Amino acid sequence: MSLLSIRDLHATVGGNEILKGINLEIGPGEIHAVMGPNGSGKSTLSYVLAGREGYEVTRGTIAFKGKDLIDLAADERANEGVFLAFQYPVEVPGVVGMTFLREAYNAKLRYLGKQEIDAMEFLKFVRSRAKTLNMSDDMLKRAVNVGFSGGEKKRNEILQMAVLEPDLAILDETDSGLDIDALKLVSDGVNELRSENRSMLIITHYQRLLNYIQPDHVHVLAHGKIQRSGGKELALELEAKGYAEFSEEAA
Amino acid sequence: MPKAEGARNFTQCDSLLIGNTCGAHTVPYIETRNPTARVEHEATTSKISEDQMFYCQQRGLSPEEAVSLIVNGFCKEVMKELPMEFAVEAQKLIGISLEGSVG
Repeated sequence: MSLLSIRDLHATVGGNEILKGINLEIGPGEIHAVMGPNGSGKSTLSYVLAGREGYEVTRGTIAFKGKDLIDLAADERANEGVFLAFQYPVEVPGVVGMTFLREAYNAKLRYLGKQEIDAMEFLKFVRSRAKTLNMSDDMLKRAVNVGFSGGEKKRNEILQMAVLEPDLAILDETDSGLDIDALKLVSDGVNELRSENRSMLIITHYQRLLNYIQPDHVHVLAHGKIQRSGGKELALELEAKGYAEFSEEAA
Repeated sequence: MPKAEGARNFTQCDSLLIGNTCGAHTVPYIETRNPTARVEHEATTSKISEDQMFYCQQRGLSPEEAVSLIVNGFCKEVMKELPMEFAVEAQKLIGISLEGSVG
């Protein structure tokens, strides 16, 4: 059974139809890349999956682990195992990183009817996850994303992903604004989280990230639809040719 | 105080707006009785943005839990200066004020 099954998905934002019939099946353990020109609907797809307000599904279905995802609120989807690594992570002043992580982790435990984790045990767990990403205890004592550089914010997103252990991780242009060193750190963090029970949807404009995080399938999203799908060679083809052939809207 | 020479005062007032139907008017009222006093006033008004709410919810927090977390973070600086009994009372009051404020 697919982990995520999107059928004929149409979605509007502010009255404009952005997704015009998306069909996508993601099996457990698979890594899918969605590439496309700016304005094609890539981020919209990630927000619709995450359940952001203002993004309305007008047609189609989204099944996640066999459940109707559209029926669930954003926090319920998160606790079911959907994680979105934001392109522009927001600052949450006054809220200490470690506190935020623990609240999120415990929210999931409560949702699953389990007992909350002990604070010391949690600290050890977070530290072990923070190692690959080269994140110090000091960073976790700061308020969430406040004063973080672009690279630090992206590493923080991956740390949260490592702690919350989602079944489906959506990475929205995780590579944007990163230099090679940060890109490598973030990619190492993501690769460490690969598992046969975890699927990933990597949204990216550039092929570069896919050198570090190799996808199983690549899809081109343009004009609100998936225009073409293929293996990882498709990404290289796009790098060589660009998105020109997709600039005309298909009939 | 009339006999306090060279007294200094700094008054800081921060408002946090929750939801779309409220506003804040901050009017400083400082009375000085000695002409050598120096007084300063600073006010900020911020809002819990939709982006912050969505970020918290996408991490599994319900809207109520998200507001509570953000408000407590906002109040932390002042709370930590209060004697323990007052801090506990203030914490409870915030909890009661927040009930029913979301949704």
